[in-house]
Amino acid sequence: MYRFVECIDAGSDFCPCHLAEKGECIICSQLQNKIFCDCLYWKGTCIYQELINNGNKAKKNREYKKYNIVSVKKIRDDLYLFEVKVTNYLVRELDNFGAFVFIKKPQNPDYFGTPISIMDVDYEKSTITMLIKVHGVKTKDIAECSENIMIKGPYWNGIQGQRFLRNLKNTNVLILGRGVAASPGVLATRRLKLYDNNIFALLDKGRSQENACTSYYKKYGANVENLNIVNYKTNYLTDDFIDKIDKILSSNKIPVILVAGDDDFNRLLINYIYKLNNKIYFASVNNHIMCCGEGVCGSCQIKLSEKYIRSCKQQYNPIEYYLMEDGNK
Amino acid sequence: MRVVVVGGGWAGCAAALQAKKCGADVILIERTDMLLGLGNVGGIMRNNGRFTAAEELIALGADDLFKIIERCTRHKNIDFPGHKHADLYDVTIIEANIRRYLLSSGIEIKFETRAVDVDVEKNHINAIYLQDGQSIEGDVYIETTGSTGPMGNCIRYGKGCSMCILRCPAYGPRVSLSQRAGVEDILAMRDDGIFGAMSGSCKLDKNSLSEEIRSELDAKGVYITDVPKEDIHPEKLKMKVCQQYALKEFAEKVILLDTGHAKLMTSYYPLENLRKLKGFENVRFIDPYAGGRANSIRYLSMAPRDNTMKVVGLDNLFVGGEKSGLFVGHTEAIVTGTLAGYNAVRSVLGLKCIELPSSLAVGDIIKYENEGKKNKKGLTKRYTFAGSEYFERMKSLGLYITDVEEIKQKVSKLMIDGIFKEKLI
Repeated sequence: MYRFVECIDAGSDFCPCHLAEKGECIICSQLQNKIFCDCLYWKGTCIYQELINNGNKAKKNREYKKYNIVSVKKIRDDLYLFEVKVTNYLVRELDNFGAFVFIKKPQNPDYFGTPISIMDVDYEKSTITMLIKVHGVKTKDIAECSENIMIKGPYWNGIQGQRFLRNLKNTNVLILGRGVAASPGVLATRRLKLYDNNIFALLDKGRSQENACTSYYKKYGANVENLNIVNYKTNYLTDDFIDKIDKILSSNKIPVILVAGDDDFNRLLINYIYKLNNKIYFASVNNHIMCCGEGVCGSCQIKLSEKYIRSCKQQYNPIEYYLMEDGNK
Repeated sequence: MRVVVVGGGWAGCAAALQAKKCGADVILIERTDMLLGLGNVGGIMRNNGRFTAAEELIALGADDLFKIIERCTRHKNIDFPGHKHADLYDVTIIEANIRRYLLSSGIEIKFETRAVDVDVEKNHINAIYLQDGQSIEGDVYIETTGSTGPMGNCIRYGKGCSMCILRCPAYGPRVSLSQRAGVEDILAMRDDGIFGAMSGSCKLDKNSLSEEIRSELDAKGVYITDVPKEDIHPEKLKMKVCQQYALKEFAEKVILLDTGHAKLMTSYYPLENLRKLKGFENVRFIDPYAGGRANSIRYLSMAPRDNTMKVVGLDNLFVGGEKSGLFVGHTEAIVTGTLAGYNAVRSVLGLKCIELPSSLAVGDIIKYENEGKKNKKGLTKRYTFAGSEYFERMKSLGLYITDVEEIKQKVSKLMIDGIFKEKLI
């Protein structure tokens, strides 16, 4: 199986980073204490050259800045929709697949920062929109914010398997979402629609009548349907969904599917669909725990093919992660 | 049978064409939008022993590429310091001509396609992977990805990326597939113990030279003038790939050859200094773009091979060109590439792979180079029919022949004339 190596930050304003400076670069063999080039993923710049040109130092890190909250909408007791006014630069940089930021309450120390996906951007108003589910200490504090909020970004590794989504033109993409994890799919829909792709979005109703992202998917022209995808009593797919997915896959050419739920949801769906058609490529939302977002702290580390990777920066093939872990190759 | 050739330089083109002539389906994968790689900025054929090698290969039946080269030749039978009877092909038209020929031969070419990894199982390559994750499968593979660059190597072992014809920033760096398959690369050294060697020439825009120089280049193919004393740097010769041009004259003289561009026979030359020369007042570099400062670094990625061009340690990978050893030049690439293409097809058919006889220069160089690079001193040498140690060897062994009829008879006596024209499938 093809195992790709890709750092989402390579070639960006934040490359080379501390990993490159310390000989731990994800991409560049010259910056892994080897003495020759073995560049497996090229994004248009030579990281080795960039590091030397930068005096053998990492580029400046992302930093928290304070931004004004435009509106907070309480959708459910534990679900909030935040619209925040940010710089034009941040809007532009966050209008990408898998974009996310770290946010925290202004008074809190940095370790209160939590990664939140960008659901929507608005260039005219210079705002970003995020759907936030209250889980614990950090998100409870964020829910209390009404005027200002601290944001650190941009980050882009919120979707794994992005290479399958880029460059798609005039084709069909299926998005299978559940809960707040479906929100990065909205931004993906926005990007995919720019290139005349047709989007089918099947969203799990969960505890509500419909997924909270539904209107945003519709805004960008996706064909959205809310249904029960997983029966959480049996922990398996509902008959309704199986019927639906069979019909969609048999009557449409779908080269790529984005699964946008929690890990159990993603695993269940990828394994089921892979058995139906192993030619389909998968992208998936990134559910790994993140703390620093810079590949340094190690909280997002996962083991793939006997190798550890930092999933906050490094891309992987979702098939490799979900199928192999299940022993269902 | 499907043969997958990775790398579309002279060696890859020769390998693809030979495999096709043998009757295989051939797919050629090229990282950039052009074939010939460094051949797009080369141009020197048939100088010194290369004449013999070209004629031997023609007698063996691999005449196709030489016919096209001849059609694209600007100057025939010229001499310049240390070199006799050279032909200079026009680098501005050669690629399109070769491309048309390969396509019309039925070879499938995938441009702007970068191979990055292999799927290998018990010494057998199942597929190669492209950067976008797609795989390409074949029965046998020929790697002719060369040994030049990429940028990181040019930085570590040279003077940085000089923006050469390989255009790594635009198309991505080459990857050593043999190394990805678990066979460690061999690295060349320079006399000073540093790895790699620097390309030995650069190209000036002919239109930026004075009318007098242009006229002389058009008429004679060569223009020579003295290097000012303060700009003579013989130590630069040690860095050079092309030991056949690492002669004293090449440090003390500015030597230009007309290959469509004005080929300047030195690795690099600071622009300000070059413009001090008479007739060079407006001069500018056309390859590498930063030829005033640096040039590409080569020989950092050679695979161990046997004399049939098969990689040692892998069942179905063959190599040609610089990937296969310390060879310098287009003729050398065509020789090694052709043999790799021929033997790749034989290996899949279950036939014994052949070695070319040592009584021919084309066979001797393949064996001599393989012996040579077994020791550290040998890794500082380059092997070319055109000069340096190997040309001396050719002369001493009586392998240097310029009588075409004599070469034909010699090949005929060995009963291998026309073998590269035989269809095997």
